[in-house]
Order: sequence, then structure tokens, then C-alpha cells
Amino acid sequence: MKNTLLVALREVRSYLVDKADLAFSLLLPIVTFALIYGAFGGQGLFHGTVSVVNEDTNGAYAQQLLDSIKKQDSLTVQMLTRADAEAKLNQASLNMVFFIPPDFSSKLNLGQPVAMTIMQRGNGGQDGQIVASIVGGVVSEFNHQFTVIDQVNQSLAGKNIPATRITVTTMQFLNRERQDPLVGIDEVSVGSKPNTVKDFLPGIITMYVLFSISISAAALVEERRKGTLERLLTTHLTVGGLFLGKFLANVFRGFIQTFILLVLSYAVFRIFTPLTFVESLLIALIFAIACSAIGLLIASLVRTQDSATWIGVFFTMTMTMLGGTFFTITKGTTLYTFSKLSINGYANDAFKTLINNGSISTLGVEIAVMVGVTVVGLILSRLTFKVLPQGK
Amino acid sequence: MADAFLVAQDLQKSFNGNKAVAGVSFTIGKGEIFGLLGPNGAGKTTTIRILSTVLEADAGDATIGGFSVRKSPTEVRKLIGVCPQDLALYEDLSAMDNLIFFGRMEGLDGKEAKVQATTNLALMELTERAKGKIAKFSGGMKRRINLAIALMGNPKLLFLDEPTVGIDPQSRNKIFETINNLRDKGLTVLYTTHYMEEADHICNRVAIMDGGKIVAMDTPHNLRKQIGDPDKVTLEDVFLKLTGRSLRD
Repeated sequence: MKNTLLVALREVRSYLVDKADLAFSLLLPIVTFALIYGAFGGQGLFHGTVSVVNEDTNGAYAQQLLDSIKKQDSLTVQMLTRADAEAKLNQASLNMVFFIPPDFSSKLNLGQPVAMTIMQRGNGGQDGQIVASIVGGVVSEFNHQFTVIDQVNQSLAGKNIPATRITVTTMQFLNRERQDPLVGIDEVSVGSKPNTVKDFLPGIITMYVLFSISISAAALVEERRKGTLERLLTTHLTVGGLFLGKFLANVFRGFIQTFILLVLSYAVFRIFTPLTFVESLLIALIFAIACSAIGLLIASLVRTQDSATWIGVFFTMTMTMLGGTFFTITKGTTLYTFSKLSINGYANDAFKTLINNGSISTLGVEIAVMVGVTVVGLILSRLTFKVLPQGK
Repeated sequence: MADAFLVAQDLQKSFNGNKAVAGVSFTIGKGEIFGLLGPNGAGKTTTIRILSTVLEADAGDATIGGFSVRKSPTEVRKLIGVCPQDLALYEDLSAMDNLIFFGRMEGLDGKEAKVQATTNLALMELTERAKGKIAKFSGGMKRRINLAIALMGNPKLLFLDEPTVGIDPQSRNKIFETINNLRDKGLTVLYTTHYMEEADHICNRVAIMDGGKIVAMDTPHNLRKQIGDPDKVTLEDVFLKLTGRSLRD
């Protein structure tokens, strides 16, 4: 056992002293996490950019309208000149631009109708249509405000009430109506709301552990290539001890990346409770153990570094796809049946259960499958291991 | 032989139907340097791999220090040190760390492994490079480290499989010097080489293998005497006479 631990420590030490390898393997999950955060920001709501050309630069109403648009959480406003906007539309680097005409404020002052212009390529694209709809809502509100103020002004004409007082009072009523409308919409969600992070983070976590399969697969090939396998086999170290040492080192490597992702998820996305976080770490460890066992089986069978890498990559990608990492697999489909052959499908299900505040006690099947894969992988890897005629 | 340390009896090993070792028997006395010579593919390295418990013989057996390589490989491993033909080193580790690691694999505790590593590095005149990474060592230095590792755990029998391939004369001389010193201290050595003058110079007895069999076995002097004047004939002449001049690769 002592020799086994020494082999594992040597492997871990080699990993830790190789600065490039270490930086890559530790930074990769952090970069992935940053991308997830950047892409989804912990939520699944729409966010778009609205490009605006304001030709009524000194107009108070134009500025008021822009301020209203900027208040929309789902929009970021990008200000452009007409020349820029037209050039970008022509180059197809923009699909849609809103123009506020030069006489926007002056016409509103005179109580005359005025229109914003939407210039777009085709139908403006799906995002463009959503942006147009949101801006349309803001403009409609703006129009409603002016219509009401105009109507009140007309009704009170000749009663010696200052126009500013009419406007202020009318705005107070309008704001009250906005906050407490007579007719509103109540949102009722059935089931859980879609959450991109919750849906896809488990797949990304398990994908990282699967990467360790390629590393495990190369573990014995490296010893064969260096000639150290022959030397190790003449020492007190048994083949079983060598396997276990490699296995432990690879579990460490597989787990450490997952650990980083889980800690970041816990701290930033707050998708775990303290208990489910600890349970997730346990699932990650069990999954890392299963993947290392598969990697060791590949390591026993292959003879070259290239074979180890390609079989590892093929296995990782197949399992990732079948495990529903990048898309949801619908129950009852043929793909769903095949997905049951994917070990990370079970790990994904386990993580999803814990993220949705389930308990590890309900994950008996998932844990049993992963433990089973570990036991079978380790036994088969030991049985299929052979010393080649060249002593490698 | 009265004080035999290694006794090989009718060792046989085939790979895909090809007999690599076809009934090899020999004995090595305690403190003897025994040379195993032969052209490429003669079966020398396979014989060493069987004796060092890396490969299992299809038939036959050998005992080392009284322990069967087939039945008691664990006991055999406690008695042997192996310097393989390939440089079996971890290039990402320092010379010292390589020695300590393999010393620990030989069952030494951390303190003893460090003491032996320091001694063996000094023996190979590599003390100053103890902390240097193997990746930056020259071929000759790597060969010397390869031998130093084989000495970890103070083996009773040392297998040296072409330990001087491709190195400078100074490193080769250092290796000879080390082997002779160890022999004087009672170490038994099984030595394979392609360099006939090396075997003539260092071995007490040699066996010449060809086609998986031993075709001659005696002291270098007696073998030379078999084909002529031992002072004029070289071991290479004997070798070529017994194994022929046709290329084997």
C-alpha cells in the first residue's frame, strides 16, 4: 500500500510541477465558468442591444424617450450617428436601428403627431424583433402619456389652470396607474422556470471529469514508452499496486477541476445549499472514480499515446453527447434509450437532483451505476493488462 | 558450481509462435560477472526479462538465491537490481528524486533511500547534479543514473542489459570501474553487451546465444582458445565464427 501511495504521489507531483499542465487544467474550468457566467449571468432572461440615432439632439422629449428606453433592464442602448448606422446596416453588422427624427420634440410641443423610424435588414432578426417589441412598448407608453396630457389640457382649457400644474398632476395619476394598473397581467409558472445554469452546468462539470479519462488512458502508455514500467515491475511494487497508484492520482486530477467548478457555482450562482453542495462534491468524487477506472481500462488495452488520446476523446465526446450535456434529451425517444448507456447521464441526473434541492438518498440508482462501472472497470483493466514482449 | 547464485534450467519463451528463448540453461556463481552475448534477436533480453520476473517463461524455471522466479517472484525481486536497455527514468524528476523514488519502490524507507541515493550518485560522480532534472542530462549521465538506480536497495544480483550503449568513453569507463568494484564486494552480475572487448575485459565467464539457444559458454580465454591462439584471437572472432556473419536485423 505504501508503494501504491508513492506512485500516486509521484504522479500528482509531476502534475503539480508541470506549470503549463497545471495552469491549463486549473484555469480551464475557471475560464469555462467565466464563459457560462458571461453567457447566462445566472439567469435565462433575454437581453439585447438597441441601436439608436438621435437626430433631435437638444430635444427634451427625445432625451426623455431615450431615458425611458435606457431604464429597460433587458436592453443596452448603443448611440450611433446616422452615417455610422447606415454603414453598419449596409455591412450587415447591424440588423435594426431606431431613428429619433430632428423635429421629434418640437412637433410634440405643438401637439402634432411624430414617428420614430425603424430601419432594418429583412425582418430585423429574432433578437431584433424582440428589441423592437420592447422599444415599441416604451414608445406606446410615451404616446399614451402625451395623449392623456393633451386630452386633459383640452378639457381644462380656459379654466386658468397653469399648464405645468396640469402636466405634473396628470403625470402623478399616470405613474399611480403604472404602479397599480386597473387591468394587469399575473404570471403563473407551471413547474420550474427554465434556468440555463441549472440545466447545463451539471453537463459541463461531468464533461471535465470525462476529460480525465484521456489522462488516465495515457497513464500506463507513458510508463511503457519511458521504459519505467519494466523497471517498476522488477521492484517490490505489484501490478495491482501500480494500477491503484495511477488510479488514485487520476481521481485526484479529475476531481480537482470539478471541485473548482462546484465551488464557483456554489459561491456565484448560489444553486446549492450547504448540504447539497457537500453531496455534490461526493457525487463528483464518485464520478471521478468511475471515470478513472474507465481510463485505466483503456490504458490497459492501448499500446500508443495516440490510441490512448483518441479513444479517450471519442469516449468523452460520445458520453457527453449521449449524456445530454448540450441539449435536453426527451424521455421516450430512441436517443433517451441510448443515453442510458452514458455514465455521465447518471452523474448529470444526480447533479440536477441536488441542484433542485433533492437529496442524495434518492440517488441510489445513479450511485450504484457509477460504483458498478468502477468495479467492472478496475477488474477488467487488471485482467487485460499484459507486459509486451519488449517488456513494455 | 559450488556456490551458484543463479540457476537457469531449460528456459523457454515464444511470442506468436516464434521461439525467442529455446531451452536456455546456465549457472552464475556468487560474485561472478557473467556475460550473455549474441546478435540482435538472439534472446538475451528476453532471458533477462524472464529472470527478472517481468515475463513468465512458457517452460523451465530459474532460481535466484534459492527462490524460483516462477513460484516466488516477490522474493526474487528483493534480491535483484535491473538496469534495463532503455533509459528507464522519469525525465521530469531530478536525479536524486529518481533514485529516491525507485529506492522507495525497493522497500527502503525515506531516510535510507536518501542515504543510498546520495551514495550511489557519488559512486557515479554525479553528486553535483543531484538536483538537476534528468531531461537536461547528457546520454552518458543518464546511463550512469540508470545504473545508480539499479543499485538502490543493495541488490545481490544485478542485471545489466547493454548498460554502455551510445555513451562516451569516460562514462563507459566509469561504469566498468563501478561494476568491478561491486564485483569485488561480492555482487553477482549478469551482463549483456554487443561490445566483445567489453565482455572480454569485464566478464569471468560468457555465454554466446543465437536463435534463442546458448551455443557456447566458458571463460573468454577458453573460448578464444577454442579457435586459435588465445593471445591473438579476439572474442569477436569467436562470436562471428559461432553466430555467422549474416545480418540479423
